[in-house]
Amino acid sequence: MARMKFICDTERCIECNGCVTACKNDNEVPWGVNRRRVVTVNDGIIGQEKSISVACMHCSDAPCMAVCPVDCFYRTDEGVVLHDKDICIGCGYCSLACPFGAPQFLSQGAFGTRSKMDKCTFCSGGPEENGSVAEFEKYGRNRLAEGKLPLCAEMCSTKALIGGDSDVISGIFNQRVTNREKNGKYPGSKPFGWTTAYGGPDAPAPTPTPAAKIPGAN
Amino acid sequence: MKFNFKTLGLCFAAAALLVACSEPPEIAPKAAKRPDVAPYMGANNGFMTKGWAPGNQTSWTESIDKRNQGQNENSRVK
Repeated sequence: MARMKFICDTERCIECNGCVTACKNDNEVPWGVNRRRVVTVNDGIIGQEKSISVACMHCSDAPCMAVCPVDCFYRTDEGVVLHDKDICIGCGYCSLACPFGAPQFLSQGAFGTRSKMDKCTFCSGGPEENGSVAEFEKYGRNRLAEGKLPLCAEMCSTKALIGGDSDVISGIFNQRVTNREKNGKYPGSKPFGWTTAYGGPDAPAPTPTPAAKIPGAN
Repeated sequence: MKFNFKTLGLCFAAAALLVACSEPPEIAPKAAKRPDVAPYMGANNGFMTKGWAPGNQTSWTESIDKRNQGQNENSRVK
């Protein structure tokens, strides 16, 4: 088993928000908290409008884990980044550190009192008994322990959002890009950057570009 | 006799002041991370899929990989 990852295919996402709805409903996420959301760029420009479904990317070197002052985060053997809500103090540092805006806080009242952090768990619950009521109430469903994959990915109607073992989903995405290129869409394109972004079992560490080769960099 | 009372009073005062030095620290113990149970151990509810044995990592991995391929319509339609 490699690492669990999501990938969203912008060529397929139709901004239906089905993934967002499925996540909120299945995990009973409270009003005001969105573990997943769909972001659209170039809105209204024909041929250039693209949408992507974003949630926690379960980073291999997660900045939220690095900045947490109470060290409430942990990574499972499947590569899923989770946190313990009994330790979280709701400070919000993780929210500032995350480049995807994944950590969410329930904000209530005139002074914006903040709850403990809530985020996508890759439908794998938290540090409570698998499938228990306590786990569901704090973290939502534990579909991995039920032998399933995250609902957002499994119910995606266009299969734009796929999630699971990074080796398998990278293979699926690779096949799509190859087919598109073969059928004349985006000729010459390759599924570049995958190993840099997600790594692989034998992928070498990416070599940083020297500053001298970057225009304008010191 | 009067001198003795004074000494006794001073002793009490000194003892009362020293009580503060014996107070236990009021720092909460650091919350310890609890170990999480691996997903291949199964869930304690009625929503588990069939075809794999809880506690058997290999069968869980095979089951998840099979389900993973369900997201690939290129293999599903053939």
